[in-house]
Amino acid sequence: MANMEREDGVTRDELVQRVALMEAMIAEGRRSTARWGWIFVMWGLVYFVAIGWSFYLPYKYWAWPVCAGIAIAAGIVVKVRQKRAGNLIGNIRSRSIESVWQGMGTAIMLYVATAIASHHAGSPAYVAAILFFIGLAHAISAMILRWAVQAAVAAIWWISGCAVFFVTSDQSVVIFLVASFFGMILFGLYAMWLERRRAAGMVQAHA
Amino acid sequence: MPEMPELDPVVHGKLRLAVLSLLVGVEEADFTWLRDKTGSTDGNLGAQMLKLEEAGYVAMQKRFAGRKPQTLYRMTPAGRKALGKYVAALKELLGAAL
Repeated sequence: MANMEREDGVTRDELVQRVALMEAMIAEGRRSTARWGWIFVMWGLVYFVAIGWSFYLPYKYWAWPVCAGIAIAAGIVVKVRQKRAGNLIGNIRSRSIESVWQGMGTAIMLYVATAIASHHAGSPAYVAAILFFIGLAHAISAMILRWAVQAAVAAIWWISGCAVFFVTSDQSVVIFLVASFFGMILFGLYAMWLERRRAAGMVQAHA
Repeated sequence: MPEMPELDPVVHGKLRLAVLSLLVGVEEADFTWLRDKTGSTDGNLGAQMLKLEEAGYVAMQKRFAGRKPQTLYRMTPAGRKALGKYVAALKELLGAAL
């Protein structure tokens, strides 16, 4: 009964081929075409530039609004261009992850703006909260994607968040920069490398 | 002998099945994305999409992204139901053949 033919001429082999086709196409549909590794690299660099500006350049209060504003604008421009090119195909998983990061970004912006306006910014606890926010977004993404590398990145942010409670304000900035380097820049570069391999069809996509 | 289930001929077509399987995992998809993923030609894909539209399995929407026209497709509830029935029929048929 290995290759029984039905009355309509459909064979078992044909049915098996259809199953394989469906499996392959469903996997393709779930694979996000979005390239997001650069976003982590960009935001990691933004943290370095903004902190450097606020320490060593004039108009230090403009450092974060200007740097963050440029990064947000760049993100929007790239997303609009990807959408226009028809390369941005949304599925539930990619939308979930995007929502987590958008929510986290909005929360941090509100938190930082309110803390600066009320003169509560700068303390280790203030920095710790930001580290925990970012760690939380990484952790949720890691759980959605079941991705151990991103879970490790979340751990870096959370451990850094715990550590800043035991150091001075200046040291907390150093910890923040170290976390940014490993948890944003290096992670983003790794993600970009994976995306290149994925584009070449060498690895299974994470998002 | 129990009656063998029927396979929906609209779903069973190779390219149409590929398109439905792609659309089941996304909210909507551009024509060019579907063409690239399935490796088909514009003409063939256009003809098969028309058949799926006529069957009520996909819905088409034309819009402009900037100045560029886009043709977007999304799966309808009827399309999901048809694909589900097709998968159930496949399972039954393959189960019977094993």
